[in-house]
Amino acid sequence: MARPSKPTMSRALQRRENISGYLFMLPSLFFFIGFVVFPMIICIITSLTDANMHDPGMFGNFIGFSNFARLVKDVDFLEALKNTFIIVIVSVPTVCAFSLWVSSAIYKLSGPVLSAFRCIFYLPVVTGSVAVTVVWKWMYDNYTGIFNHVLKGAGLIEQNINWLGDSKYALWCIILILFTTSVGQPIVLYVSALGNVDQTLIEAAEVDGANSFQIFWQVKWAQMMPTTLYILVITTINSFQCFALIQLLTKGGAGTNTVMYDIYWTAFKLTEQAGHFGYANAMGVVLAIFIGLLSALQFKLAKEK
Amino acid sequence: MKKLLAILLAMTMVMALVACGGNNDNANPSPQDPPETEDQTPEAPAEPAASGELTLWTYPIGDWGKEEKVKAITDAFTADTGISVKVEYLAYADGDDKVNSAITANAAPDLIMEGPERLVTNWGDKGYLVDLSDMFDDTDKSEINAAAMTACTHPNGEVYEYPLVVTAHCMAINLNAFKEAGADQYLDLENHTWTTENFIKAVDALYAHYNAPVGAVYCKGQGGDQGTRALVNNLYGGTFATASHDKYTWDDPKNIQALEQLKGMPGITFDASLEGGDEIKVFYQGILKMAFCWNIAQQLNPNQADTGAGLTANGEEIVFMGFPSENGTPALQGGIWGFGIFNNGDSAKVENAKTFIKWMCDSEHTAEAVKTANYFAARSAAEGTDLTGIWTDNEIMNEYQVLMPYLGDYYQVTKGWAGARTEWWTMLQKVGEGADIAETVATYAGNANAG
Repeated sequence: MARPSKPTMSRALQRRENISGYLFMLPSLFFFIGFVVFPMIICIITSLTDANMHDPGMFGNFIGFSNFARLVKDVDFLEALKNTFIIVIVSVPTVCAFSLWVSSAIYKLSGPVLSAFRCIFYLPVVTGSVAVTVVWKWMYDNYTGIFNHVLKGAGLIEQNINWLGDSKYALWCIILILFTTSVGQPIVLYVSALGNVDQTLIEAAEVDGANSFQIFWQVKWAQMMPTTLYILVITTINSFQCFALIQLLTKGGAGTNTVMYDIYWTAFKLTEQAGHFGYANAMGVVLAIFIGLLSALQFKLAKEK
Repeated sequence: MKKLLAILLAMTMVMALVACGGNNDNANPSPQDPPETEDQTPEAPAEPAASGELTLWTYPIGDWGKEEKVKAITDAFTADTGISVKVEYLAYADGDDKVNSAITANAAPDLIMEGPERLVTNWGDKGYLVDLSDMFDDTDKSEINAAAMTACTHPNGEVYEYPLVVTAHCMAINLNAFKEAGADQYLDLENHTWTTENFIKAVDALYAHYNAPVGAVYCKGQGGDQGTRALVNNLYGGTFATASHDKYTWDDPKNIQALEQLKGMPGITFDASLEGGDEIKVFYQGILKMAFCWNIAQQLNPNQADTGAGLTANGEEIVFMGFPSENGTPALQGGIWGFGIFNNGDSAKVENAKTFIKWMCDSEHTAEAVKTANYFAARSAAEGTDLTGIWTDNEIMNEYQVLMPYLGDYYQVTKGWAGARTEWWTMLQKVGEGADIAETVATYAGNANAG
């Protein structure tokens, strides 16, 4: 029996609706192209030039891959890259593991209690990063901070620890703050994902004799993989782009320089090297490549799983 | 209905595009364009413009960072000349970023107030500022402090800053704490000076009494770094740059000796979590017993607890001191502040800006402009008005003048200054972390000279 062909009117209607849809998308698209895609292209182009604030012209002179060759020998950049990777390598797994653990513990709680926990963990995310950082700065303060006060009171230290001024501690202090401001969203997402796990699969696994660990690993974890992937990618990107904490707390000193801060320093600070946009953009391109590679790896691993 | 919506949407987008598009009729050419200023004979400033608007960006130079004070004097200027002034207040933390961004966007202000290290060595050197040399005649040159005039003049002979005020940076001590620790015996309170030997004894006595660091070699960033430079240079008579300002010399053995001395003192900590401003706060709180970032502005300013000028938050007495030196005669770092004009290619605005500078720095209104800064006049007289006695009614200002003869070389105009500052505080961080001092100093001084 021949399938009845769709009425022509319907196709025309569909086309008109598509056009309307695209028109509604256009404002967002305009901003996306204007403020994301276009700057990205400019960034890549200028990374191959000696563009700077002192010479006329937006793009400077084409110098090939000289900026990238210079980056390889730039001790400050390499140190910043190392610090950035330490932040990512430490921060991403701990954020994921901690948020998964907290979510597992709270997702079965009754409505108001669960909401209260979600609020508590989400609060640092919605609070302005400057406000959060100022409070942490007070707590870390070398002379009047609560950490030194408590540790000294407990007899654990004799002299104050200069948390943000000593390279032994400063980067870890920043990672701790980054951790507290990063776990909120993953916890909310994991709570939601755990609540959406198909109960019939869990019951079937229980009937088959699976223990709690097997149920979690084989059933729940597998169903939460899209959420985990999203959390991994977002946390990775945020960790790579850690800037405000560094700017507000250490200004890149005491072994806390990161690539993002190095880009800012190279582009805008008042030094004779200031305004070297080409070189700063080369740093940005390298950072983007690393973020892209790591995200791709995460996608691949998640897909295999 | 949908069609109507789509049309409306499309129109909105077009409007957005137009709104976001740049104005190609912008009259501001790039700073590299030659200035269009007309020649002007000395002491014959342009006729005050009947109208016009100027933008002034000012760093927090005394009360030139406070809107209510600045508004009073700029309103008086506007009433006198018909030129209105729009002021933006910069902070040292991000002021340079704002100015650099503005230069990049061809949106630099007409006037900027700061010191030669920025106006001459940086923005002037790069060609962004207007040459002001036509504003100085022989009388002006004889009235203006010679060191200030030299600092405001680029090696190419062009003048990029018209100096308004000067001061000497110094340090401060908590006198009550010194007395409690029995360390006040090491101070020459009459002359506000002390020797290196007495400084060491005083720090040791304070540390023995309080069992905690009493002074901090702050090195989080460049803020207030004049204090750490002066401390290190003065202790054993080291220098920071050559007299001809063509090379940094902070790797000289006397500075290394000073750094080794400071590093070896338990009462002194190298603190990479503090800048100058942070150090002052900790000093105000009474935690540190001495501050290396100090000048008359701090001495005059009541602290946040509003306990009065020259007092800590606890009401303890603050005494300003010269930096310790072997013979008790310090060489103090000077501060010179004045106005520069960005070359935005508008000759009328340049003329108006020169009128503003003339009104503030060389007229009967200069005393008021100087008093707004809370520093000392950069010249002895302005158009017949004597400026030497403008602070006779202020006891603290009068007392502070005892330090002015100790003003040392204004080396901040040495080439590569901005980069050298970064090398300095980075070096202090490394020294504080325990790196080999001689090696570290050599490395970073080398970087400064290479920059």
